[in-house]
Amino acid sequence: MSNLDPLILARIQFAFTVSFHIIFPTISIGLALFLAIVEGLQLKTGDPVYRQIYRFWLNIFAMSFAIGVVTGIVMAFEFGLTFSRFSQVAGAVIGPLIAYEVLSSFFLEAGFLGIMLFGEGRVGPKLHFFATCMVALGTVLSASWIMAANSWMQTPDGVAWDHGRLIVTDWHRVIVNPSWPVRLPHMLLAAYLSAAFLVSGVSAWYLLKRRDVGFARRTLSIGMGAACILITLQVFVGDHVGSTMVKYQPAKLTAAEGWWDKTTPSPMPYLWIIVPDQSGQRNLFQMGTPYFGSIWLTKSLTGTMPGLSNIPVSDQPRMLPVFYSFKLMLVIGMTMFTLAVISLWLRWHGRLYSARWFLRILVVMAPSGVVATLGGWYTAEIGRQPWVINGLMRTSEAVSPVPASTLLATLIAFVCAYSVFFLAFLIFTLRLIRRGPEGLPAHALPSGSLKRDLRPEIAGVQPYLAGAK
Amino acid sequence: MDLPLIAALFMLFALTMYVVLDGFDLGVGALLLAQRDEQVRNRMVDAIAPTWDGNETWLIMAGITLLAGFPLAYGILLPAFYIPIVVMLVSLGLRGVSFEFRHNSTSSRRRWDVVFAAGSLAAGLAQGVIVGGLIHGVRVDGNTFAGSPFDTFSPFCILTAVTVVAGYATLGVGWLRLKGEDATRAFARKHQRWIPLAFLGLTVITVLIAASAQPRLIASWRAHRNVFSFCLAAFTVSAVAIVSLAGRDDVDDHVGFALALAMMLSGMMALGLSFFPNIVPFQITLWSAASTSMSLGFVLIGALVATPVVLTYTGFAYWVFHGKTPAEGWY
Repeated sequence: MSNLDPLILARIQFAFTVSFHIIFPTISIGLALFLAIVEGLQLKTGDPVYRQIYRFWLNIFAMSFAIGVVTGIVMAFEFGLTFSRFSQVAGAVIGPLIAYEVLSSFFLEAGFLGIMLFGEGRVGPKLHFFATCMVALGTVLSASWIMAANSWMQTPDGVAWDHGRLIVTDWHRVIVNPSWPVRLPHMLLAAYLSAAFLVSGVSAWYLLKRRDVGFARRTLSIGMGAACILITLQVFVGDHVGSTMVKYQPAKLTAAEGWWDKTTPSPMPYLWIIVPDQSGQRNLFQMGTPYFGSIWLTKSLTGTMPGLSNIPVSDQPRMLPVFYSFKLMLVIGMTMFTLAVISLWLRWHGRLYSARWFLRILVVMAPSGVVATLGGWYTAEIGRQPWVINGLMRTSEAVSPVPASTLLATLIAFVCAYSVFFLAFLIFTLRLIRRGPEGLPAHALPSGSLKRDLRPEIAGVQPYLAGAK
Repeated sequence: MDLPLIAALFMLFALTMYVVLDGFDLGVGALLLAQRDEQVRNRMVDAIAPTWDGNETWLIMAGITLLAGFPLAYGILLPAFYIPIVVMLVSLGLRGVSFEFRHNSTSSRRRWDVVFAAGSLAAGLAQGVIVGGLIHGVRVDGNTFAGSPFDTFSPFCILTAVTVVAGYATLGVGWLRLKGEDATRAFARKHQRWIPLAFLGLTVITVLIAASAQPRLIASWRAHRNVFSFCLAAFTVSAVAIVSLAGRDDVDDHVGFALALAMMLSGMMALGLSFFPNIVPFQITLWSAASTSMSLGFVLIGALVATPVVLTYTGFAYWVFHGKTPAEGWY
């Protein structure tokens, strides 16, 4: 076991547990807003199809939320388990941010989740809607704080060294650090896009199967409608994330774009395929679109940029994973944009629900948002290496004094347990999708005064799907 | 103002909330192993399903308060208890997802119930191992954990592990008696007659062995003689009261749970005071491990503002699901 490197194992374990975790908050941030919108529409219009949509996605939301919670608890301790020296150096900075996440968001979500999932027979429709909104708000607050912590690690600000520890000099600058204002909307939009394509993909499948058509049309309409707005915003926000990187993390950006040269050729092509040679500081092979790099990255026809070899070798990230994870995100984002445009055109011509080729693409795209989000996170995290706190602390200095053999054993335990979570989640979700939404109720649920909302038994309001499991 | 002390008290508060709230959840989970009837198992899970998520959040609160307020201690204790913490996290995970997966399955529900129960039991045992390790003390060199991750395992930690599970089961039967009707209530009533006594007996043995194994504890118990005597008396009286009242149906079903809470609270108070003023037991005091007042103050302002709000809507969530668990479930 002595030839195993604890640093590598600690990094693999952290990367595995955090990558697995982020899949589920991404889904639940997006679905929570979707559920709030759908329940709001139901209250406003009284159309029972919204209730059908709500009940169907609530179940999938509950599963992804539960996995998000239990894998999130792991993250709260993983800082100390695998990177205890990082915790000691930076705990006074990131600890309070996560403490605020727990206080403002986790409790809010948990407090109202029970009412959202089980409260339909116990509280009235308006209060139930309020609970859904609070859960959706909780997911946004959670993202805000954790993005503040992670963005601070990308672009640290507002701290000073004191006896080998980082101490906070200005909380405002820690929280509103240079990259947070662009990375937070980028992540939220990513989560909302993930949900939009997930619900659209599933409803497209129903339309292809010609079943549950009313349910599927309405879901697809909301999903693709939202996707059109979201992807347009994401194009601008994503561009801003890029400009922030140019300024604060040039190594990450140049690795993501695949350039080694001290100064890139003019005009600069935009690279799509490269075979990088890290030790030789060059690409063995590269292929791109002429002019496009200058136009996109420098907003001019002939602009150039400095490549990765301007950064000392010891401070460089690995180009291969950064480049391809970024390109994965980018290609999915461009596909989403294209599909959004096509969806508008099809909607205009009344063929959104019948163009089978388009529906087939949407089915394939159902998990695309989550994949793109993972790609983005790999770009962000691998691109920050070899630093754990950019420019301040190296990942190699941060690792815990835990033997490699123990790390390996727990890594295997996490992989086994998480495989069970993932398989069960997939099996149950696919089974729920195959079973389809519950049938339409005979009549709409009455809504009324707040008094009746609080004491449904007085008004005789009964959940009309009581006992349906 | 003594910010490190206030932060430590807030952490102890969060940890105590976790122990009593998730304690009954884990207790109910472990008790599933003793219940053959699937219908009763459904009622047992329904009794905790709407609130378990919030209960577990207090564990994150305690852990993150340690990170934010005492980063030095966080960086020593987590590697020191690496193995039981990972076991706890994986067990809590398996148990948490079982809530949803058992609900969505019919043919394999029995299997998910086993996962649920085993996860609850293992999480409690792992937490007990950590308690044993804390009593033993942690090897530290400078600011770093200097022992091996296996240091925490000793015959003594088996005893503390079983004791913690007995405590959770005491809370669990109390909760089931409170929430359950018919068969569920009868099940709770039956086990309420012996589990609190087992918890009491195990605790007494733990205290006796701890006193001989860890001389530092005796000094701390002497220094706070009155508080410890009070805790021990409250603990013993509550245990005896639960058992002697368990068979009586004219006593309200809340009483057993309230007394179990009293047992846990006095136990947590005694345990917290045993380590005081150390945050890494018998090595580092909470003042020398504390963050700057810039960080402590920031966290405590947030805690001061948010905790009453959190307690209010958590209380509301409990109130929505007050009373006996309906026989057809919450849906």
